[in-house]
Amino acid sequence: MNTFFSRVLILSGLILFINSSAYSAPLGYQGSVMTMGDFSRNWREASFNYAVTNRDAYGFTHLEMRGDDHDEERILDAVTYTRLLSRWNQPDSQSNLWLFFGVGSLQGARAHGNEERHFDKVMLTPGVQFDYETRRVYFAVTHKLYRASDINHDFTSVRAGFSFYETDYDKTQPWLILESRYTNHLSDKVEITPMLRLINKRFFIEGGINNDAQPRINIMYTF
Amino acid sequence: MKKLIAILFLALSMTSISAFANTLKLTVNGMVCAFCAQGIEKKVKALPETKDVYVNLKAHLVAIELKDGQKISNDTVTRIIKDAGYDVTAIEESSHSLAVIKSELDK
Repeated sequence: MNTFFSRVLILSGLILFINSSAYSAPLGYQGSVMTMGDFSRNWREASFNYAVTNRDAYGFTHLEMRGDDHDEERILDAVTYTRLLSRWNQPDSQSNLWLFFGVGSLQGARAHGNEERHFDKVMLTPGVQFDYETRRVYFAVTHKLYRASDINHDFTSVRAGFSFYETDYDKTQPWLILESRYTNHLSDKVEITPMLRLINKRFFIEGGINNDAQPRINIMYTF
Repeated sequence: MKKLIAILFLALSMTSISAFANTLKLTVNGMVCAFCAQGIEKKVKALPETKDVYVNLKAHLVAIELKDGQKISNDTVTRIIKDAGYDVTAIEESSHSLAVIKSELDK
C-alpha cells in the first residue's frame, strides 16, 4: 500500500510539473492547459490537453488498467481530441455535451493457461459525456469505447453529488460525489466510490474509497 | 459620537473612491463553479485596461474595474467571456469600486 501511495504522490507531482492532464470538466478555456490524473489500484490515468479554441482541445493520455484478478493488463498511450459539442448556460446552471476521441498504442499481457502472451495493438477510444451542474448539484454520465483487434472494452461512468454549502469564488468548496463505473471484459464488478471533492479555482481534487476498500484519487489543475 | 464621526468619514471616503472608479458590471450565465469560471478572471485580468476583477458566482456577476482613463467596448468584454465559455446577458457601467461592489454583495 505504501508503494501504491508513493507512486500516486510521484505521479501527482509529475503531472503538475509537466502540465499533464485530468478528468471531469475535460477542457479549460481557450489557450489553457488542463492536467488530469485518476489513480486507483486497477485504473491509473494521467493526461493533459491544450485548448486551441473554447470548444476544441488536443492532448495526450497514459492509461494503465487491469482486471481484478490481474490476468488482464493494458497500457495505453494515445493522442486525444476533446470537443465541446454543445453547452447550455443558464443563470444558475450549466450543462455540456462532450465528444472524445483518441488513437494510440495499446500494450498488454493476457494469460493463456500457464503462459502469458504479450501484445501490441492500435487502439481507438471514442466517447461521449453529458454533465449538468449548479452551484450545489453535479451530475455526469460518460460512455467511452476502448477498441482494438480482439479487445472491446466499454467504459461507463455515472457521477452525482452535491456541495455541502456555497462558497465565495476564491474559497475552497467541498462536495460529496458518488461515482459508479464499469468496464466490461476487464472486471465483472461495478466500482462504486464515494468521494470528497475540493475545488479551489484552478485546483480540483477528489479522494475516496471504493466498494473493494481500495483508495482512489483524482486531480485536475489548469495552467 | 466618535463612532458616528468614524462612520461618516468612512462613508465619505467610499463615496470619494467610488466617484473615481470606472467599473463594468457584467451579468453572466453559466458561472456555477470556480474551477471553470477562473478562465474568465485570467482572460479579463490579462487586458491592459483592467485594474482588477471581481467574480461572484451567486450573483452571476463579473465586475471589471478599469485603470484611470481606460475604456473597453461591450463587444470586447462580451467576446472574452464568450471565449471563456459563458454568456453575457447584461452590461452595466458603474462608478463604484470593486471594494464597494463586494461590500454591497456581502451584506
